[in-house]
Amino acid sequence: MRQTAGTLNRTWLAILGILVLVAGVAVLLQATGILQNVLQTPLRGAKIVTGGLHPFFAQQWLVILFLAVGIIVGVLALLWIIAQIPRKNLAETYRLQQPGAQGRTTCDPSVLADVVVHQINTLPGVVASSALLRGTADEPDLTLKVTVNDEADVRALLRHLESTTFMELSTALETPVIKRRVQIDVSARNQNSGTVTQSGGIVLQ
Amino acid sequence: MNPQGAQAQSLDTRKDPVAGSIDARGHTVLANKVVEKIASQVAGDEAVAGGSSGGFLGIGAHADLTSRPKVSVELSGNMATLRVDVGMLYPAPLRQATEDLRQRIRDRVMELTGVEVRHVDIKVSWLTTADADAGGERKLL
Repeated sequence: MRQTAGTLNRTWLAILGILVLVAGVAVLLQATGILQNVLQTPLRGAKIVTGGLHPFFAQQWLVILFLAVGIIVGVLALLWIIAQIPRKNLAETYRLQQPGAQGRTTCDPSVLADVVVHQINTLPGVVASSALLRGTADEPDLTLKVTVNDEADVRALLRHLESTTFMELSTALETPVIKRRVQIDVSARNQNSGTVTQSGGIVLQ
Repeated sequence: MNPQGAQAQSLDTRKDPVAGSIDARGHTVLANKVVEKIASQVAGDEAVAGGSSGGFLGIGAHADLTSRPKVSVELSGNMATLRVDVGMLYPAPLRQATEDLRQRIRDRVMELTGVEVRHVDIKVSWLTTADADAGGERKLL
């Protein structure tokens, strides 16, 4: 139900992978002497810093440069870690008024989600369910999580979701619900609606 | 009440005694509550819209399509802006149903009160299914 930073992770990992790959290839080329022929880099084993390393790294501009680079990298890493927190990314209130209407029509996505959940919970074998609507009223994005017990017919449940639940939501919003995800969990719990079941039978005397 | 108004009335009376006598009968003042209740009743009469009933101080209230929805009105002279907090039947097409409701409220309020309704903002607060009154119980076949 919650969204993670999958795309962000893939992007940053790709960037870091390319950087490391470029660095590795450069080291290989330098080690084989090819880079020295092409870019006139120092020879393998030659000293590029004259004198000791300590005085070289003690230069003020170099300290400031390392500090700035360190802070930037640290902030980016922190933002990347924060982005890992799963988020619901709930939709804002749906605006449903028609063009030229003399007034606004609004509906909170949770209102629609509640009625969808209410309907699904009455299906045979469904123990619990939750729904989350994202996107806009014109492009709704529905995520469903349905928990069923071992008495549920999962195929029949999926057929019902396709033929009834999604269709009714499309009817209510007057637009097809193209983006939809269904997660089905199995639980050992019993179905309990908290209501009395009506039965219509024949009394035999 | 004011001297200018009194003067204007006496002049009109001299020109048109009948109109002057009608003005002299008094004013009709329409309170906000009147418009609110009329709009609420009109919305409640719709089959697909309703309000909430029961509960105490708003706690424990439940959706009821037969009750009147909550309406608030802003009156400015002879113009009104209405805000309707309504529940709807699911899966009714919400855009079409609320637009029909808006037109119905506008027409009836203008017809019954003479107040010009400029905007009707509708907030769909809850949705209910036709079988919700039955408690959502499962039927054994």
